[in-house]
Amino acid sequence: MAKHLLEIENVDIFYGDAQAIWDVSFHVDKKKIIALVGANGAGKSTLLQAISSVVHPTKGEIRFDGKSLVNLKPEDVVTLGISHVPEGRRLFSQLTVLENLELGAYPANTRPYLKESLERAFDLFPVLKDRIHQHAGTLSGGEQQMLAIARALMARPVLLMFDEPSLGLSPIFVSRLFETIQTLNEDGMTILLVEQNVHQTLEIADYAYVLQTGTLKMEGQPEKLLSDSAFQHAFLGMIG
Amino acid sequence: MTFFPSSSVFFQVVINGILLGCMYGIAAIGLSLIFGTMRIIFLAQGAVMILAAYCIYWLVTLTPIDPLFGFLLILPVFLGFGWLMYKGFFQRVAKAGENPSLLLAFGLMVLLQQLMSMIWTADVRAVKTTYAMSSIPLGDINISISRLIVAVVALIATGLVFLFLKKTMLGKAVRGASEDMGTAALLGISPIRVSAATFAIGIALAGVAGVATCITYPFDPYFGFLFSLKALIAVAFGGLGSVGGALLGGIILGLLESLSAYLISPGWADAVAYAAFLLILILRPEGLLGRRTIEKA
Repeated sequence: MAKHLLEIENVDIFYGDAQAIWDVSFHVDKKKIIALVGANGAGKSTLLQAISSVVHPTKGEIRFDGKSLVNLKPEDVVTLGISHVPEGRRLFSQLTVLENLELGAYPANTRPYLKESLERAFDLFPVLKDRIHQHAGTLSGGEQQMLAIARALMARPVLLMFDEPSLGLSPIFVSRLFETIQTLNEDGMTILLVEQNVHQTLEIADYAYVLQTGTLKMEGQPEKLLSDSAFQHAFLGMIG
Repeated sequence: MTFFPSSSVFFQVVINGILLGCMYGIAAIGLSLIFGTMRIIFLAQGAVMILAAYCIYWLVTLTPIDPLFGFLLILPVFLGFGWLMYKGFFQRVAKAGENPSLLLAFGLMVLLQQLMSMIWTADVRAVKTTYAMSSIPLGDINISISRLIVAVVALIATGLVFLFLKKTMLGKAVRGASEDMGTAALLGISPIRVSAATFAIGIALAGVAGVATCITYPFDPYFGFLFSLKALIAVAFGGLGSVGGALLGGIILGLLESLSAYLISPGWADAVAYAAFLLILILRPEGLLGRRTIEKA
């Protein structure tokens, strides 16, 4: 058994010739909410994409449950128990709500549970049940985010990764979103949360890593970070 | 009816146009599906059609089998052929991006044309059927039986593809992947698998369109390129990514050709079709029936 559920060790990532991630290491433990915070372009999304094997590190190791993810394809990573709610939700807008959810359960190891997973999705987000035959593109921003989360849950993940889920949502939906993430976590889901909404993220996170231009600058429990003057200066707009 | 001597002539022209358009429609559906997952215009579509036409030519010349059975034979054979073609060539090339795939399709078209002219010579061939000349009288107008068969086959093919896309998990995955391949992969949908499936179906539809061609038209190894173009125009009319739209686009094209052939002169049919193609691309690039792409929030 691996020490941590997800381990990222000394990872370098390039886009062509440009280096996006410099020697980053962090880990995620079971049933925790781990946050990756940082400004735009800090490399948070890149790290999530590396975990999903959309991009591949040139150096370092990524292990999930002790198994290396570095040479896998994105379509194989999800079958290991990692679901990724991508930035901008990326729903299939011309498919119905139901079809989006069905495709969430596409992998052969999750397809037998389709019915059960659908029920769970509708328990969590009853409004989706009312919209079941509507095209995903016709949903409101908040409903789209619910669908994106529900779709990711259809693959029955152990680890759920969110990339900027609060982006473009109204404040009321943002609060509900963070409540949902907490509820999922209380039910035993491990969460890796990438956010620019530092305040609300740190309210629910167990531990946070701070990225700046591709390197890990700080890490710690939210209370510790919030009382750190360098952190306050960089992220909370306070002059320390 | 100022332009037509009688309403029955008008209906005759319209019905011929619809029947011709169904043939374009089948090829267009295949083209649209392949574009959806591979993002290339599959230029060899017409050459594959003619290959199917030659297969039926052989079948009819060498055996007493009716070309109609060719539909049942061509469908599974070309499904397999398409799958092999994807696995053998396109899967590897697709990694390098769309342009190499497009070049490969072009090369494949030339290769098929040359192979066909080596095997069957460049002479024009025709498949003779017992019903080639027969037609069903309907009041004052006549409906050619072979063209009617083509129309029925087109509708069946469209219906089957539609059911596949709407009802099966793989079909839904194809639709999702056509919209966003990257996200589909994150959900566990293998891009290779959906591309291979759509390619196989696209080739099978080209095969079916080829059988339809050979019972209605004489053909030679180079005849297919024109059909690729016509299928492309039909797709542009209907809008990418819609099966019904592709069929309807084909029918609009058939109507346009048949009406302009009658009203202006047969030589102008192609000119009118291409002019309409240009107009559509300029004025309504998403197609007559296509949806405008909505920016997602």
